[in-house]
Amino acid sequence: MSTKKSENHLAGVAASPGIAFGNVLCIGGDAAEVVKAPISAAQVSVEIEKLEIALSKSKVDLQETYEKTLNSFGVEAAEIFSTHIMMLDDPMVVKKSMEKIKNERVNADYAFATVMEKYVGMLRGMKDEVFKARSADVIDLKRRVIRYIQGGAQNRLKQLKEPAIIFAKELTPSETIRIDKSKVLGFAMDFGARTSHATILARSIKVPAVVGLNNARDILKDGDLVILDGDAGECVVNPTQKTIETYRKRRDEYRRFEKKLSAIKGLPARTKDGKDIEIASNIEFPNEVDSIVDLRGDGIGLYRTEYLFLAGDHCPEEEQQFQEYKSIIEKLNGKPLVIRTFDLGGDKPSEYLPMPVELNPFLGVRGVRLYREGGSEFFRKQLRAIIRASAYGDVRIMFPMIAFVSEIRYCRSVMDDIMHEFTRNGVPFNKKIPIGAMIEVPSAAVAADLIAKECDFLSIGTNDLIQYTVAADRGNKNLDYLYQPYHPAILRFVHDTIQKGHQQGAWVGLCGEAASDPLLTMVFIGMGLDEFSVSPVSHLLIKAIIRHVEYSECEKLADKAMAFSTSEEVAEYLKDIYFKKFRHLQYFSH
Amino acid sequence: MVSKSFIVKNTYGIHARPARLIVQAASKYASQIYLAKNGEEVDAKSIMGILMLEAGKGSELVLRIKGEDENEALEELQTIFEEITSIDGSAKIGY
Repeated sequence: MSTKKSENHLAGVAASPGIAFGNVLCIGGDAAEVVKAPISAAQVSVEIEKLEIALSKSKVDLQETYEKTLNSFGVEAAEIFSTHIMMLDDPMVVKKSMEKIKNERVNADYAFATVMEKYVGMLRGMKDEVFKARSADVIDLKRRVIRYIQGGAQNRLKQLKEPAIIFAKELTPSETIRIDKSKVLGFAMDFGARTSHATILARSIKVPAVVGLNNARDILKDGDLVILDGDAGECVVNPTQKTIETYRKRRDEYRRFEKKLSAIKGLPARTKDGKDIEIASNIEFPNEVDSIVDLRGDGIGLYRTEYLFLAGDHCPEEEQQFQEYKSIIEKLNGKPLVIRTFDLGGDKPSEYLPMPVELNPFLGVRGVRLYREGGSEFFRKQLRAIIRASAYGDVRIMFPMIAFVSEIRYCRSVMDDIMHEFTRNGVPFNKKIPIGAMIEVPSAAVAADLIAKECDFLSIGTNDLIQYTVAADRGNKNLDYLYQPYHPAILRFVHDTIQKGHQQGAWVGLCGEAASDPLLTMVFIGMGLDEFSVSPVSHLLIKAIIRHVEYSECEKLADKAMAFSTSEEVAEYLKDIYFKKFRHLQYFSH
Repeated sequence: MVSKSFIVKNTYGIHARPARLIVQAASKYASQIYLAKNGEEVDAKSIMGILMLEAGKGSELVLRIKGEDENEALEELQTIFEEITSIDGSAKIGY
């Protein structure tokens, strides 16, 4: 009898190009479920032992983390882990949990969770922010210990020993960054969109990703052999030998294509009629810098710093951030580094930063809005680190979610304050450090001239600009027809922002995913965009397009594209041009 | 029994780092050591207990020690409290 499972094709959305073959590892999300279960008298000692073992294993882990952090980031960053160890050693915590097991006859995970939750509640109820913020530490510890009591099934990201294709219903940003990137062959997700955090990560580490698979959770099991096609947006489960061969061929084709593209590394991004355009890269993690340097592009146009704030369980100290920024700018050899100050809130809540619970976080306190609310200390700390790093190269600062001129002025005033102090104390920094605003809120696009007046540059963040302009959640698959970079209103916003920025003498870049879309490259060139900031994986393709066109034809094409009434018409037109004009770049299907 | 009161002078109060210093010191002694704020008393060998006091800047704390090594314990904890008072500045927030 054959035990061979049948081949199964799952359709999703292409989110990061390339083809991967590998075994699946399913990640189940982090929220360990704790259920109260009555135990017999005989079981009491078993449950107590479970708790003791879980506590000691957790402490061993924490000690290891402490030492690692100490070596890479110094004592300030590491100290939190000795606090965590002490919390697990706390006589009250241990005693109360043991008593609960004994007296109430309940399971160890429930007893421990209840004790810790009580502390969380008390800390959250405190007025002082410093104390309130500690609730996140207690939550973290609770999860850690419970995972061990329940058998460690939840903590799977750590078990990633063999390279695998990661499957999850959805990955949160903090889960994503804890993954050992050297072991990831690709990402497959039931939810998510091209712009969600895990897919941005996939593109930055150059592995394929397919999202929006809907119900793959019910089909995929650990160890299943899977082909992930990040170009077609497909996931093939248990492929036959024949299918594997077909995809192997395609992968080889893709590799040849990549090799061909790499020939233009180091050549200028200049149109045939001589207009130079900057192509910078978007990065998320400092260790991506080496591959950026290798691309020999125009530096980094968007360094998303959220990872620094999401990776640990506390706000990174000024010194740690400074070292991080300094090490990046020093590697860039005089090329610019645009650091975007942390954009938390929205889809990226932080575990320790006190944030209000909001009904509609995307329209709530996120980005720059947080800098005046609970995040003012963190903002100041980050700015201090960035300004110090400006002594070592061409560092620029960009502020997210600017909707209003007064927000830029606020950021500027905090910078001035810090600069005065540094001047007084002889701390070196660049006094003319350029600042810019992300244009991702419609009000900022409409009033881009007013904002540009107070800035050195603007950078259009299409990912959010689209969702706010068409009022459609970017993760909502049912609204895909609205969430389109080809939308006539979006093209107008981009066009007008560029014009308004130029009127005020500011340069204008585009750092959203649309900058990596080869169909739109000519349109943006024609509109006069100064800088494309793209995912590293798309860098050479966009450059190849720029080198193959004339600025004058792009101007005409942009005008034409803007004359259409619907996204479909725009896309149709651009596809047509693209397939005719760039036959040699046609590995990428659209 | 010995006791002594202190005013919390550092900007961020007895947050995680000072609390850890207190617990580290207190745990070395056999005596029972308590810390109280506004009549609420906690075990000074318990970091959770100390954090629950929410002892921000300006709080008045009373240290109460009972046991064979109470004098030595008081002496060391007194030094710790002086150290904590000198912990300050924005670089020292949090932990």
